Amino acid sequence: MKCYVCAKEGRDTDAVAVCIVCGMGLCMDHAIREENDLWEGGYPFPAKKVKQQLPRILCPECSLAMKGDK
Amino acid sequence: MASLVKRSVAELVGTMLLVYFGCGAAVITLTTAARESGPLQSLTIGSLGGLADWLAIGLAFGIVIAAVIYGLGRVSGAHINPAVTIALFASKRFPVTDTVAYVVAQLVGGLLGSIFFYLSAGMDAVTIGGLGATAPAGGITFGMAILAETIGTFVLMMVIMGVAVDEKAPPGFAGLIIGLTVAGIITTIGGLTGSSLNPARSFGPAVGDLLLGGPDVMGALPIYIVGPILGALIAVFFYDWVVKED
Repeated sequence: MKCYVCAKEGRDTDAVAVCIVCGMGLCMDHAIREENDLWEGGYPFPAKKVKQQLPRILCPECSLAMKGDK
Repeated sequence: MASLVKRSVAELVGTMLLVYFGCGAAVITLTTAARESGPLQSLTIGSLGGLADWLAIGLAFGIVIAAVIYGLGRVSGAHINPAVTIALFASKRFPVTDTVAYVVAQLVGGLLGSIFFYLSAGMDAVTIGGLGATAPAGGITFGMAILAETIGTFVLMMVIMGVAVDEKAPPGFAGLIIGLTVAGIITTIGGLTGSSLNPARSFGPAVGDLLLGGPDVMGALPIYIVGPILGALIAVFFYDWVVKED
């Protein structure tokens, strides 16, 4: 699979990841890795953040859209 | 996790809301009946609507319980009931320091709920409504009342174990199911004991009545301490035993 973003720019780059939202193939330069907090517990126990985080690979477009107006 | 202070404040606020809205509904039922039939009549909940009075009060409790669980459940666990906290401690699911802080916060919250309702509704809430305090109905002995409160709280705690504590429980339903369970229990047991199921719910109005000159129900308070705690303890150990694979 090739990087979709690079292909749109006329370049031919191998993809190393896939966007979890749109499925776009992404090279290292265009893959955005985000770390998401994980929580355990909740009613009837207080929720607490665990040390581990859940990674998520996104393309630039989806990453921007997920952030919304923030 | 939120600090113990923040979690205790969440328990205080949750229990205050429970007493304000739940016991408040009982007070409104009595003051409405007094307006309809005159203050000299011997009033009890059910004078106007029979079992529907208890259903309405049960739903007021159930809805505010659901609201508190969904609103504050992730902060403190939203026990808003010393019997639940003590049962979780007894089954080694909750630490001792947190247990003491939670129970104190719940009792103070119960009292504040009663005081705030008095400030909202006026002296009739105390003299006619008794701030929604619990006492056994006529013909119900101390022992009968403890039994009813034990069975009622057993059902409540068993449901909490099944829909929330158990790791296999489907997420998201706890508040709704627990609220409806409380409403159902109150509809039936309300006519016997007032259906407290919660020492803090009875403590707040009883002490509020003592401070504000309402009816003296302190003699009945042990029913609502012993019964709910006993019921919750039996439920938690029963649940652990019954789900344990042989």
